[in-house]
Amino acid sequence: MAMLIDNLARFLNAIAGFITPLALFNMAWSTLLGIIIGALPGLTATMGIALITTLTYKFPADLAILVLICVYVGAIYGGSRTAILLNIPGTPANAATTLDGFPLAMQGLAGRAMGIATSGSVLGSLIGMFFLATVAPILGNYALKFQSFEFFWLAIFGIVISGHLTAMEDPIKGWIAGFLGLLVAMVGQEGIHAYERFAYGTTELLGGFALIPAMVGAFGFAEVLSVMQNPPPEMANKPRDSVFPKPADVFRYWRTIIRSGLIGTFIGIIPGVGEDIGAWVSYAAARRKSKEREKFGKGSIEGLMAAEAGNNAVVPGAIIPALTLAIPGSAPAAVLLAAMFIHGLRPGPLIMVESPQFVYQVVAMVFFATLAILIYGVGLSRLLLKVLAIPRTRLMPVVFVLCAIGSYAITNRIFDIWVMIGFGIVGFTLRQMKYPMAPLVLGIILGDILDKNLRRGLVLTDGDLTPFFTRPICLVLWLITFSSIILSIDPLRHALQQTFRLVSSRIRRLFYRRRV
Amino acid sequence: MPRLQHLKIHPLSVPGIVPAFIGMVLLLFGTILVIRSIRRGGHRLGFSYEGFRRLLSKPGNQYLLLTAILTIGYAGFLIGFLPYWLATGLFIFLFVFLFEWERGMSVAQWRRRLISAGIIAAVSSAAVTLVFERLFLVTLP
Repeated sequence: MAMLIDNLARFLNAIAGFITPLALFNMAWSTLLGIIIGALPGLTATMGIALITTLTYKFPADLAILVLICVYVGAIYGGSRTAILLNIPGTPANAATTLDGFPLAMQGLAGRAMGIATSGSVLGSLIGMFFLATVAPILGNYALKFQSFEFFWLAIFGIVISGHLTAMEDPIKGWIAGFLGLLVAMVGQEGIHAYERFAYGTTELLGGFALIPAMVGAFGFAEVLSVMQNPPPEMANKPRDSVFPKPADVFRYWRTIIRSGLIGTFIGIIPGVGEDIGAWVSYAAARRKSKEREKFGKGSIEGLMAAEAGNNAVVPGAIIPALTLAIPGSAPAAVLLAAMFIHGLRPGPLIMVESPQFVYQVVAMVFFATLAILIYGVGLSRLLLKVLAIPRTRLMPVVFVLCAIGSYAITNRIFDIWVMIGFGIVGFTLRQMKYPMAPLVLGIILGDILDKNLRRGLVLTDGDLTPFFTRPICLVLWLITFSSIILSIDPLRHALQQTFRLVSSRIRRLFYRRRV
Repeated sequence: MPRLQHLKIHPLSVPGIVPAFIGMVLLLFGTILVIRSIRRGGHRLGFSYEGFRRLLSKPGNQYLLLTAILTIGYAGFLIGFLPYWLATGLFIFLFVFLFEWERGMSVAQWRRRLISAGIIAAVSSAAVTLVFERLFLVTLP
C-alpha cells in the first residue's frame, strides 16, 4: 500500500513536472506531427519516431523522449483517419480499423466513425497506461532476479514469438528475419573483449551498424520506395456529421473497450509484437464475444472500437518491457529504446533502482499524449483532410531528404547515409518477399543482449548447459519457444505426432495385454 | 595485436560463439526453405530479356526504378559532391518534376510544373539546410 501511494506521488510529481510552457508546446507540435505522420499512408509510426529521433537528439533527454512518445501515440491514432476515409490503413496498426471504419464512412457516418476511433484510442491508451504504471515497477523488480540464462532465452523467445506472430502464414520467414537482425548486430566490436567482428579492417564498421540509420533505412527509405511503386490512393468520403465522440457509444461497449485494452497491453508486452497484431487480436476477440456479430465488417461500432482501443493500448504495453528489460515490445518501441540509449538513459532491470522517477515520467508522457489526441481528435479534421490531399510525388522527396540528413546528423558520417540506403534496399526486397520487418529490428536490438548473456552464462557455469534449461523462468521460455517452432514446421509436427501416436499405442497395447 | 588466446581469456567467452550459433540457426531455416521449395516444384526466376521487359513495362516498376535511381543518386553521390543545399534542391526539383511530367504537356503546363517543382525544391532545401545548420548545429556535408 505504501508503495502504491509512493508511486502515485511519483506519477503526480511527473505530471506536474511537465506542466511548463516548453513541455506543453513540445507536446502540442509533436502529437500533431505524429497524427499527420500516422494519417499519411506510407509514413508509419516506426519511421516517424526514427526520423524525429534524428531531429531531437540535441534536446535534453526527457524532452526528447516526451516528443517521441507523443509522436508514437499520435501516429497510431492518426492512422485511423486514413483507414476510415480512404479505406487504407495510415499505419499497419490501423488495418483492422478499415474493416468497419470505411463501411461506416460509406454510410455517411464518417464523423461518427472518427469519434468512435477517438474514444477507442483514448480509452485503450489509458488502460495501457494504467498497466504501464502498475506492471512496469513489478516487472522491473522481478527482472532484478534475471541472470544471463534468463536474458539469453528472453532474446531468443522475443525473436521466435515476434517472427511467428508477424508472419502468421509463414513463420519461418519471420524467424529468418529475426536471426538476420541478430547477425547484423554482430558486426563491430563485441561487448566482452572488444574484439572486432565482421569489420574487415574498416574503421566505420568498428562500432557496428548504428541503429537509427538502419531503422530509418528499413522503415523510411524502404517505405518511400514502396509508396512510389504502388498506385496513389483515392479520396473517398468527406465527413459531414460531427466528429465529437458520443458517450453512448462508449457506455454501450465498455466491456469491449476494457477487453481490447487488456489484450492490447498484453500483446504490447510480448517482445516485437506490435500494434497491428494487437488490433487484429482484439478485433477477433470482440467479434467472438459480440451479440451483433453479423454487423462486423459492415460498419460495426463495436468492431471499430475494439480495433482502435486494441492498437493504442499496445503503445504503453510495448513500453513496459522496453523500460524494464531493455527488450522492445514493438517496432516503434525498438526505435524509442534506441533513442533512450542515444540520450544516455539506461532502460533495463536496474531502472526501478536507479531512476524510478523516469518510469513515472514516461507514464505521464503517455498521459499527456493521450490527452492531446483527444483534443486534436475532436478539434481537427479539416487540416487532416488537407494533409491527406498532398500528392505523394511532393511528399516523398522531402521525406527522403530527411531520411538522408537525419542518418548523417547523429554522428556526422557519410557512411551512415550508405547504411541507410543499404538497409532501405534490403528492407524493401525482404518485404517484397514477405519477410516481416519487426523481428529484424528486434534482432538488431537484441543481438547485444544475446551475445553477452550466452557467453557470460557459459563462463559462469563453465560450459554446463543445464541452468539454461532447468531454471524455472528459462524452462517456461524455452518450452514456449521450442513448441512454437516445432508446431509450425509441418514435417517436424508430423514427426512429433507420429512419435506420440506410436508411443501411446505401445502404452495402450501394454495395458491391453495385461488385461488379457 | 595479441590474439585472444594469448590473453588467456575463458575459452567459452570467445567472440565467435554467438555468430556461429546464429549462422547454424539460419542454415537450418534456410535448408528448410530450400527443401520446401524443391517439394513444391521450385520457382522459375525467368532471367530473360523478355521477362525484364515485361517487368519494366508495368508503370509501378518504372516508378520504382526512377525513385531508386534518383534517391540513391542523391544520397549516395550528390551529397558530399555538391554543396548540401544545392544537391537537395536539385534532387527535390528533379523528383517532383519527373514524376509530375506527362506526355504531351502544353507550354503553359510545362511552365506551371517547372515553377511549382522549383518552389517546392527551393523552400524545402532552404528549410532543411537552415534547420540542421543553424538550429541543430550540424556540419552539413
